[in-house]
Amino acid sequence: MRALDGVSFRVNAGEWIAIMGPSGSGKTTLINILGGLDTPTAGQAIVDGTDVARLDEAGLTRFRAEKIGFIFQQFHLVPYLTAVENVMLAQYFHSTTDEKEAQLALERVGLGDRLEHLPTQLSGGEQQRVAVARALINHPKLILADEPTGNLDEANEEIVLSLLRELHSEGHTILMVTHAPSIGRLADRRIEFAHGHLVQAAASSLKPELA
Amino acid sequence: MFWRLVFQLLRRSRGRFAVAIFAIVSGATVISALLNLDLGVQNKLTQEFRTLGANIVISPATGAPAQIGGAAVPSLMPEREVLTALQQLPSAQVSAAAPYLYIVARAQNVPVVVAGTWLDQAQKLDATWKLEGNWIASRADDSLCLVGRNVARRLHLAVGNPLELHYLDRSAQCSVAGIVDAGGTEDNQIFADLRAVQSLADLPGQIGVVQLSVTGTTQVIADYAARLTSALPQYQVRPIRQVAEAEGALLGRIRLLIVSMVLLILILTALCVLGTMAALAMERRKQVGLMKSLGGSISRIVGIFLAEVGVLGAAGGLLGAILGTGLSYWIGLRVFGTAIAPRWEVFPVTIALMILVTLTGAIPLRLLGNVKPADILRGE
Repeated sequence: MRALDGVSFRVNAGEWIAIMGPSGSGKTTLINILGGLDTPTAGQAIVDGTDVARLDEAGLTRFRAEKIGFIFQQFHLVPYLTAVENVMLAQYFHSTTDEKEAQLALERVGLGDRLEHLPTQLSGGEQQRVAVARALINHPKLILADEPTGNLDEANEEIVLSLLRELHSEGHTILMVTHAPSIGRLADRRIEFAHGHLVQAAASSLKPELA
Repeated sequence: MFWRLVFQLLRRSRGRFAVAIFAIVSGATVISALLNLDLGVQNKLTQEFRTLGANIVISPATGAPAQIGGAAVPSLMPEREVLTALQQLPSAQVSAAAPYLYIVARAQNVPVVVAGTWLDQAQKLDATWKLEGNWIASRADDSLCLVGRNVARRLHLAVGNPLELHYLDRSAQCSVAGIVDAGGTEDNQIFADLRAVQSLADLPGQIGVVQLSVTGTTQVIADYAARLTSALPQYQVRPIRQVAEAEGALLGRIRLLIVSMVLLILILTALCVLGTMAALAMERRKQVGLMKSLGGSISRIVGIFLAEVGVLGAAGGLLGAILGTGLSYWIGLRVFGTAIAPRWEVFPVTIALMILVTLTGAIPLRLLGNVKPADILRGE
């Protein structure tokens, strides 16, 4: 059993990378290491000049707050907070809260009329858009999206993907785990894993069509 | 945002907190009532003990009895000397005081003990007496007297009847204002105005004993007695130990009981909160994992939850303190016959105790520090 082994790749600022591979190939482990949620047993994971592997618990906490924006497959919103409060929660852990800015972030993802709704009052697509707004609110260096459309229907999948395209066009660096080749082809590059090994790193051919 | 988070947590989790809230409010209610009682009971019990009668007696030093008119009577004290000494001591602690001159006179040719005293003090000094008729309100009125139950029965006296007392060749008259049922030797005595009895016995300005009812703890009573002894070294000043010590012992036992119960309730409340918090900690692992992934430090995250628990404890403590004050008021009415006034210092103490207990009960939340966000987000 191995989750990654001898992986080595580099991502340039502003790139959109799709990480692909079968289940258990280590995609999520890679995302977690880059996001400071897991620490590698060996090697380096350098994000924006910071070697995540060398950070202590407090350093990892600051790293996550300041440099990473997570988008999860399961949305992972706090159930007792409204949409705007979920976004403000990320602000709170980063520095100070600004409700107006949080509202603008939600308006940007098309949820200006859902600010005070609880997650249970939102559809899956809307919850994921709240998660996108939360990921963006602190202007992170790196957006890590783990199967961001995995739980969405086609219509909501398209909305979330268009948001990611928009973020990419604005120069955000995105690492996105996906099983779907059609979604993977939206990225600048695809990195494929199998059994913990990086087996292929390829430039996307469809990107120009969808850009 | 901190308090917004705390209040949203409280608002959305109130169902889960139902058992803990019930335990906190119940615990705070009983603790508040007990603390109110503890603080109020001393006054009430002291008042109750005062109804048992005098707790300090001043009497002549033991010695040869005086001879009055050929009859042996105990040594006497000059009334003025004793009362002057009493007046020089603080009067706030003395709830009642009265000099007594006892003589054996004859009524309807029957020998009977007559106690000359300040009849207006009788009700205060002997509040347990049952009286048929009326208490005597003014010591200036020397025309009234109280008669013991047995004397009244033997002499066929009723309230309002005239009574003539004879002592040697002198006599005095009074009207029976009330018939005393004391359940003791007082039932065989007649209580008349001090001046009238002094005149009857031809002992002007002389008294046999002074009885005082001093309010306070055993120590206060002992201290007062010591000061009296200093002021009147020639006489014997005796605290009536049975009353004073019984009072002190009972107060001590009640306080021990109350403190034990408060501790027990605090422990039970903490255990109840502990159970709720253990379940809540498991439930919130996912949220903590998420918050950690968003860059929340464990101290900030647990700080939110502890504030939530603290607010719960404070609110429960405040509500319980209000209810407990009402409970102690009711207990005061039922047990002591008078309301126990609210003691405002009980409020902050109850609230502080409840915050402490809920924070102690929130120990399981510390386990959240071990949550690995990656494991939680992975669904483990």
